[in-house]
Amino acid sequence: MLQVENTLFTIVMLLYFASMLLYFAFIAVKKEGVAKVAVGLQIAGLALHTAALICRGIGAGRLPLTNQYEFATSFAWGLCLVSLIFVLKFKFPVLGAFSAPVVFLIIGYAAMQSKEVKNLMPALRSNWLGFHVSTAIIAYGAFGVSFVLGVIFLLREKMRTHGFLDEHIPKREKLDLIAYRSVSLGLLFLTFTIVTGAIWAERAWGSYWSWDPKETWSLVTWIIYAAYLHLRLRRGWEGRAAAIFAVIGFVCVIFTYIGVNTFLPGIHSYA
Amino acid sequence: MKAIKKTWKFLCSMRFAILLLVVLAIACSVGSLVTQGQTYDWYAQRYSERTAGLILALGLDDAFHSVWFIVITAFLCLNLLLCNLTRLPQLIRRTQAEGRPDGALRTQGDVTSENVPDPEAAFARLHMPKPEPCKTEDGRKALFSSKRRAGLWGAWVCHLGILLLILGFGLGQMTQKQYTVYGVPGDAKPIGDTGWMLEIDDFTIGLRDDATVEQYTAAISVYRPDGGDAARESAEISVNHPATLKGMKFYQNSTGWATRVNVLKDGAPLQDAVVCAGDFLPVADKPDLVVYLNAFYPDYVLTPGVGPSTASADMNNPAWLYSVYYQGRLLGMNALMDGEELTVDEYTFTFTDTQNFTLIQIKEDHFAWLALLGGIATMLGLLLAFYVQPARVWAVQQADGNWTLHGACRKGGAIFREKFAQAAGGGKGQAEEER
Repeated sequence: MLQVENTLFTIVMLLYFASMLLYFAFIAVKKEGVAKVAVGLQIAGLALHTAALICRGIGAGRLPLTNQYEFATSFAWGLCLVSLIFVLKFKFPVLGAFSAPVVFLIIGYAAMQSKEVKNLMPALRSNWLGFHVSTAIIAYGAFGVSFVLGVIFLLREKMRTHGFLDEHIPKREKLDLIAYRSVSLGLLFLTFTIVTGAIWAERAWGSYWSWDPKETWSLVTWIIYAAYLHLRLRRGWEGRAAAIFAVIGFVCVIFTYIGVNTFLPGIHSYA
Repeated sequence: MKAIKKTWKFLCSMRFAILLLVVLAIACSVGSLVTQGQTYDWYAQRYSERTAGLILALGLDDAFHSVWFIVITAFLCLNLLLCNLTRLPQLIRRTQAEGRPDGALRTQGDVTSENVPDPEAAFARLHMPKPEPCKTEDGRKALFSSKRRAGLWGAWVCHLGILLLILGFGLGQMTQKQYTVYGVPGDAKPIGDTGWMLEIDDFTIGLRDDATVEQYTAAISVYRPDGGDAARESAEISVNHPATLKGMKFYQNSTGWATRVNVLKDGAPLQDAVVCAGDFLPVADKPDLVVYLNAFYPDYVLTPGVGPSTASADMNNPAWLYSVYYQGRLLGMNALMDGEELTVDEYTFTFTDTQNFTLIQIKEDHFAWLALLGGIATMLGLLLAFYVQPARVWAVQQADGNWTLHGACRKGGAIFREKFAQAAGGGKGQAEEER
């Protein structure tokens, strides 16, 4: 099963890469048919990615959510899923062109991690693992999309009027609203992540909150996005300022995920 | 008076909330970046003497319990409380008003579409409940429908949840009692000052085929030493599976090695105790003489230039690394095989029966439920705020018999306007133009 997963993972990387190139080509050649093929490849990549994760789960005999490789590949899966939902829901293929490189970077990071399947330490052998980490994947995926939307918003401000892009990038207000929707999704799931993590920590470590660096940075991320939501309600702060906050928020997400493990070891050091 | 009003307004304001959130985010980041709970010397060695002084002066060595951190959190609670209190009457009025057509019919709504051929079909396309017929103030026919008013309460419930969460956590931190007891099977030890005894009936380490640990399981009993007021209660605990006995929660926390230390004085038995790795054993009749157990190596090897280590997890060559102190001064440090004798003056020490000890954490937190309730309320509030979008749609028949459709969805924005324009089905108006 792990061999199958390995093969599927390679195919997924190729599909995501091809999808990314086609999204770029869509902007370059300005043909909607190219975007449709890019979306199709992304859907195929996501389907095989799901299959790869299932194979990994069967091969490892547990949920594939416990080490850097497994979380990175799941993070890429979550980002790909959420971005695809937003691309299809809002008929917004340009979002795919901006999110595809982020997905590819994350899956590239996953490819650099050790794929070795290790037995779980007793603390990780809990049903709460599934709830805690899967909600984090959706949250991170949604924040990734809000980051991409923030970047598109800021670039749109700098862009000269251009018929093709004007047609394919929503107006400022709608762009801001789509970003708000993705932050809402992310914040809701991050709250689930923090609460389920606290319940699990209480059972495993006897304390539901220990100010461990991972916990603290999850809280910092939560606060940044909470500030984003409040800022959007203030006159003059919606749009540009909110877009900047969405970008800062995702920097915090990445720091929580990679930076904390690298620079601030704590009780989450295995993650 | 004006200053008080201004201060009050600021304390309730969203501007203050945003300021507090940003300050709290910075405070948490600093608290996580500076290693917590270290000494001046440690910080001086890591950074510089000047930085070390600054860290201690600002309380950054214990940031999350410092006065300034508690003050920021207290202000956040105050802001949340005032915000919720001042908004409550308005929220109740609004919830009631949004269910009634009278208020809506006097306004144009956020979006309007004229000449709508079939208003009831437009209501259905917007997934609104069946509209109720009503009349405008000037007697024209109208239809009104509203949905998902619970969504108005999202932010309020979320704020309440955060407040309860902070309150539960704060009260828990102030009142909780925490103890640790460690020992080997057969040991019975007091649980702090509670008057209860904890007996370790059994302790097993479940290993997989590859010798990795699958689970640590301890069988424990709690009882009164005098056999007093309550019956003995027993339970099995393991990692992720704590148990509650006599109102206290017991967690299987960690494990390590322990050994039986037998002390003879001039050949006569003097002392017999179980000592864990990392613990001291003062000699019974000469407490200034202390044996400290540094570490245990199941398969001891001494590599020159590297030091002691274990070749495997198997008990092939079990040895203890120990230190002997007299009046706080290190007399010597060496390795002692299981069963081998160590002689210091007239005393002879033997380490036998080395086994794993269990460390059990015992906790009483009477406010954890409040924090959990807060967490659930926060999630529910966010769910209501983001995914239960209140909407009102009403249609008014004009003098020429045509219908004008109006809609209001504060959270819907451009997306609601698009849906509205599509649902209005061919009606030309503001909604179409805005697109």
